[in-house]
Amino acid sequence: MIWNQFALQILNGLGVAAILVIATSGLAIIFGVAGVINMAHGTFIMVGAYTAAVVNKLGGDMFMAMPLAFVVVALLGLAVERGVIRWIYDRPLETLLATWGVAIILEVAARLIFGPLGLKVDWPDLLDGNIKLFARPPHYPYYRVFHIVLAAAIMGLTFYLLYKTNFGLKVRAVRRNRAISGCMGVDTAKIDMLIFMYGSGLAGVAGAVLAPIKAATFDMGFTYAVSSYMVIVLGGVGNLLGIPVGAFLIGEGETLLAFRYNTVIGQLLVFVAIVIAIRVFPRGIFGYHERR
Amino acid sequence: MKGQKRRTFLKNSVSTLGAIAVGGGAPYVFSRNIAKAQDGGTIKVGILHSLSGTIAIIETSLHNAERLAIEEINANGGIMGKMIEPVIEDPQSQPPIFAEKAKKLLLNDQVVAVLGCYTSASRQSVLPVFEEYNGVLLYPTLYEAQECSKNCFYTGAVPNQQLDDFEPWIVRELGRKKCYMIGSNYIYPKETNREWKALLEISGAENVGEEYAPLGHTEFSTVINNIANSGADYVFSTLVGDSIVAFYKQFRQFGFTPEDVPICTPITTEQETAAMGPENAAGHYTSFNYFQTVDTPENASFVERYKAKFGANEVTNAVMEAAYFQTYLLAQAIEKTQSTEADALIFDGLPGQEFTAPQGPVKIDEKNHHTHLWARIARARDDGQFDIVWTSPERIRPDPWVDYLYPNKDCDFTSPEVLERLKKPWSEEKNRSGTMDI
Repeated sequence: MIWNQFALQILNGLGVAAILVIATSGLAIIFGVAGVINMAHGTFIMVGAYTAAVVNKLGGDMFMAMPLAFVVVALLGLAVERGVIRWIYDRPLETLLATWGVAIILEVAARLIFGPLGLKVDWPDLLDGNIKLFARPPHYPYYRVFHIVLAAAIMGLTFYLLYKTNFGLKVRAVRRNRAISGCMGVDTAKIDMLIFMYGSGLAGVAGAVLAPIKAATFDMGFTYAVSSYMVIVLGGVGNLLGIPVGAFLIGEGETLLAFRYNTVIGQLLVFVAIVIAIRVFPRGIFGYHERR
Repeated sequence: MKGQKRRTFLKNSVSTLGAIAVGGGAPYVFSRNIAKAQDGGTIKVGILHSLSGTIAIIETSLHNAERLAIEEINANGGIMGKMIEPVIEDPQSQPPIFAEKAKKLLLNDQVVAVLGCYTSASRQSVLPVFEEYNGVLLYPTLYEAQECSKNCFYTGAVPNQQLDDFEPWIVRELGRKKCYMIGSNYIYPKETNREWKALLEISGAENVGEEYAPLGHTEFSTVINNIANSGADYVFSTLVGDSIVAFYKQFRQFGFTPEDVPICTPITTEQETAAMGPENAAGHYTSFNYFQTVDTPENASFVERYKAKFGANEVTNAVMEAAYFQTYLLAQAIEKTQSTEADALIFDGLPGQEFTAPQGPVKIDEKNHHTHLWARIARARDDGQFDIVWTSPERIRPDPWVDYLYPNKDCDFTSPEVLERLKKPWSEEKNRSGTMDI
């Protein structure tokens, strides 16, 4: 094995892990606090990607698209939460079904509006180019570095929001014990709503920054949804650390195995490893254990 | 438009009920009544492409190309003085519905022939129907070959027409002999790569790696690292769908230029280069029989008429072009035999039929029912179109079982042995294919 290539592969794994963190954080926060498994998460990412594609078409770049995608998808999340989910919060099966329905509606709507062919999204000029680690390519793209920085920023911001603000204190209280928090005067419905908006907004940002490595397509959400669920199952939602740790293990595992064997076997072995991990940590590595 | 379609549909279904009552349960006899399709002074031709569902986009463009051809034929006086009446069905991108609709077209509407299908799965789903009820299918897609049916005429490319000249050209003109193969993980890429490996061996080039990514995979950093690691000097890609866009983009992001390592592929067309942004495709090579930039008078007028009818932003591609010219081949075959009988078209009308298509003069092979097509190699430009850098001196004979992989297998509908076998009734000899071992 060539050591240069191996070192690059570690970086590639980090890049994949960053993508997973970006794609998963919104889902994990909604699941962790409001207890809703949002089956429409992948389609929320897709909406973010189309937002970026539209901004791109109008001549804006991705840095403009990011805040816009956050706002657009947060408002979409607000509509879904107020319109559908708030009536069925305590019934997990119904929320699964309802959010899945929302996903199908959004997907078909996207196809009707934008057509089934992919829309192109460029990466911003500022992030064009790559770091020349070695004399010959592959060089490490700035855009992947940006993903890693953004993943860290999202985790940092979320940590700050949950652990250093008054709002975060209430969120954590609701997560620990919804009934008692309500008795103490916390408006739990409002907390749920705001968290749903924040999580949805993060999904929008994910779409905007992930589209430039591919294209905005109506069915792009599915793959991200699946890998997001994997990260949550492995990492657990009890602690914010579950997301980066789960993403790191899956990202590095997948890329190193794909490097050693091939892509298909890499994915297969990661799935096997996750099944075994669930046997050992049924609630994920950072599983949340309820106090009784 | 929509209302009209529904009305036609209702009308057809009513006449269908009558037909079923008469036809009873004897399909073999039933199929002989196909001459009925001339009733009412029109010639009915079925169009069977998905207008809804996952593959609707590409199939709608095929549907449009066929409708355009029918309109042109009718404007020029139709066939035998009669207008062509298209009977349109929407199989909703689902192979079982393709089979149902094919049966309806053949039995209820009694169409002369069906223009249709796109994926191999849909074709394989309808073929038994066409064979059982002795219908005629014209199929426009490039596919993995190794198939041969009396009732099907294949107007798209088979691998030998895209690959046989491509590999030697890469060695000769680009001077590259170390190939890394990356494909999507399903049958078409695997069969294509089998042929490519044989070609590499023949020209003394080297296969330095072969890898498959799951369908829809869009994360290629590892694959790109593997390509660098293997020392390849070009990549042969059989990726499909979203993977194409992701691979080309990431290949460029990781610092590879077409001058270092060009991507050569029989798949990427104008549609993908638009979705990825043309600057990501510029300089890479595609082998196909048709590009929008093909310089023939027929193509200029085809592109112009298509854009005039369906919008100036529409892009024409190889499969659409095949859908377009196969409609003309069918019309000429009916005109030649002066008959709408399936057997007349299958044994006399369609084999050997020639037409000057946008890509150049094409011809249906008498022996294997595939089509003689032109081979072209083109380099992507930075405006999303392609510069054609090589065109075959003459059209290429289709070979569903290439000699260098299957020396003992072939397909020949002119051989007495096969003809004898085909004469037997369906119930006795289910094999209606022209496959034979030699």
